[in-house]
Amino acid sequence: MRRILTAAAALALLLTGCTAGDKGPDDGVVRLRFQSLAWQKESVDANRQLVDEWNATHPRVQIDYVQGSWDSVHDQLLTSFEGGEAPDLIHDASDDLADFAYGGHLADLRPLLSERLRADIPARSWETTTFGPDKGVYGVPFLQEPRVIIANRKILQSSGVRVPTPEKPWSWPEFRQIAQDLTRTMGPGGYAVAWPLKEPVSVSLNLGLSAGGRLFHREADGRVTIRFTESDAVVPGTIHDLVVTDRTAPRTTLGSGGSDTLPGFFAGKYAMVPLGFAYRQQIAQQAPKGFEWTVLPAPAGDAGLAQGVSPQTLSIAEDSPYKKEAAEFLDFFLRPENMVRLARGDWMLPTGTKALADPSLHTAEDGWATGAAVAQRLRPAPAQSVRGYPEWKDKVATPAFQEYYSGAIDVGELRRRLVEDGNRVLARYQRK
Amino acid sequence: MSALRTSGPARVGQYLALLAYLVFLAFPFLWLVSTAFKPAPELASLHPTWIPEDPTLGNFRQAFDEQPLLRAAVNSLIAAVSAALIAVAVATPLAYVTARHRGRLASAATGWVVISQAFPFVLVIIPLFLILKNLHLVNSVLGLVLVYVVWSLPFALWMLMGYVRAVPAELEEAAAVDGAGRLRTLVSVTAPLLAPGIVATALFAFVTAWNEFFFALVLLKTPEKQTLPVVLTHFLGAEGVADLGPLAAAAFLATLPSLVVFALLQRRITGGMMAGAVKS
Repeated sequence: MRRILTAAAALALLLTGCTAGDKGPDDGVVRLRFQSLAWQKESVDANRQLVDEWNATHPRVQIDYVQGSWDSVHDQLLTSFEGGEAPDLIHDASDDLADFAYGGHLADLRPLLSERLRADIPARSWETTTFGPDKGVYGVPFLQEPRVIIANRKILQSSGVRVPTPEKPWSWPEFRQIAQDLTRTMGPGGYAVAWPLKEPVSVSLNLGLSAGGRLFHREADGRVTIRFTESDAVVPGTIHDLVVTDRTAPRTTLGSGGSDTLPGFFAGKYAMVPLGFAYRQQIAQQAPKGFEWTVLPAPAGDAGLAQGVSPQTLSIAEDSPYKKEAAEFLDFFLRPENMVRLARGDWMLPTGTKALADPSLHTAEDGWATGAAVAQRLRPAPAQSVRGYPEWKDKVATPAFQEYYSGAIDVGELRRRLVEDGNRVLARYQRK
Repeated sequence: MSALRTSGPARVGQYLALLAYLVFLAFPFLWLVSTAFKPAPELASLHPTWIPEDPTLGNFRQAFDEQPLLRAAVNSLIAAVSAALIAVAVATPLAYVTARHRGRLASAATGWVVISQAFPFVLVIIPLFLILKNLHLVNSVLGLVLVYVVWSLPFALWMLMGYVRAVPAELEEAAAVDGAGRLRTLVSVTAPLLAPGIVATALFAFVTAWNEFFFALVLLKTPEKQTLPVVLTHFLGAEGVADLGPLAAAAFLATLPSLVVFALLQRRITGGMMAGAVKS
């Protein structure tokens, strides 16, 4: 009995010790919680160093750095907002902000941001975080990632195909032809390109902009409807033909994430892999010794190299009592020289024009120059601010694109599902 | 008894099925161990091997360098042990009463168990968050332990009710005939026979709390209080990209306490203690 009592007492002590308050002494110091989603070592280090620099020079406004996770950020923020316990400063991506902005959980940054920051980031980037009829700005877009083609340099050179540059990219039909040439050169078991299409909707829509595809059209009455035109069919049609008709892209990677295609890429089974710009970090880290790779721009269409992106964002919680101080921190955090550090840490491109001009982001090494050249052509991802888009994406578009790319349905059926089923979903969200 | 004997081929079949099941269960864990010791280029090999060709402890070093794994493990341990002890302490007497005194209470309790298991996390998390906030228990391990206890209690109760029913009431009656009082019967007769059930229930509550992610993610705000499953997600990036080596190393270490606790307690779970206790 005595042992049980002792154990119970120890447990009680342990738990009370753990609950000792998290409120600091009332010393007039403003403490702001900054939840960052940086996760790779270089990126976390860059974030922490900037927070430390701020804390050292601003004793009255201290930032507490908290690491969150991309995997669970939406659910966590949703719960924290509802419970009134959200972090003051929030790192997220523009395609995740719509619900929080419309729900009144994020502060409209227009009266808070400095003129310097506002002028430094181009209007097309601000568009990605602008929501509602009042055109409120609910986040600062600061890092972005175009989709590029990462290629095996040796295979490319030995095949003799024309190597594209941002100034003279491949067209989509040329890309298809080159894929055939490469596959022929590589011999049995080789494929010119491996498309990791676990998330087929964002790839199809974002790259679709290059051919003038829009899919989502805002009508005069403000409603959004889906139309699938010839331009919308160019990119999905090319991917479909590569996989189903030409067999220059393997069917097996259609359900894969980007990382899953790397073993085949390193082994010379695939000559090219279309991936997000930040995957270069993983490739640099994992590539076998002597493996040579290069970064190429994605193919261009009628709209050139245009493609959609959903930049990473920094927002301020509407419930935060210290919005002014939080905005001052953002202004410091996103100074051009700091944006460069953050971009290099995440292997991404900064949105700020001054940061983007930094020479370290224009070197040929690791393909930085290709990304920087494409940056001017990046546009807001289509439909990210359309209400009902997440449901359309999950229930209608993802299965439709997956079936189309695997050859299970034809383009007519794809069109029918995207348009007819899709408009039914959107209509529910747009009832007045 | 001879009717229970199994023929040779059938026995071989049983063992093969058991082996297949063991392989099925062990595969993810063995792969995790293998991954934890592989250097980055081997992780991206087209022909992965079971045994790392160039084994390294680098993933473990990196995992410890980048994340406060030890502190998170201590937090997890406190939460899981507390939740398991409290859940068992509450569920055991409740299960005894419910199982022995059948009536409306027992049916209601069983109904409650079934209904409570049907609620998904997302449905209860916001109201729960608000309740804990009013009690000033958000961002505290005590709050998290309370949630774990409440979450595992219905199933713990259900489990224990089954064990209590398996203890023949005749044994208690025999003790009473021998002059033992109510308390003496419970302590000297019932409790030892219930021990395997209590241990199994405690293990269940421990493992549930040890692995739990979503409540810990939402309720604990400061890094100093985060538990192991939450810290493990810090090795994950967007779109399913992961720092695979350090993640596998940290996940491997995170599975060890559960295995150790199970290894220590498994002897106590073995049944058969009551075989032949009463004539039926």
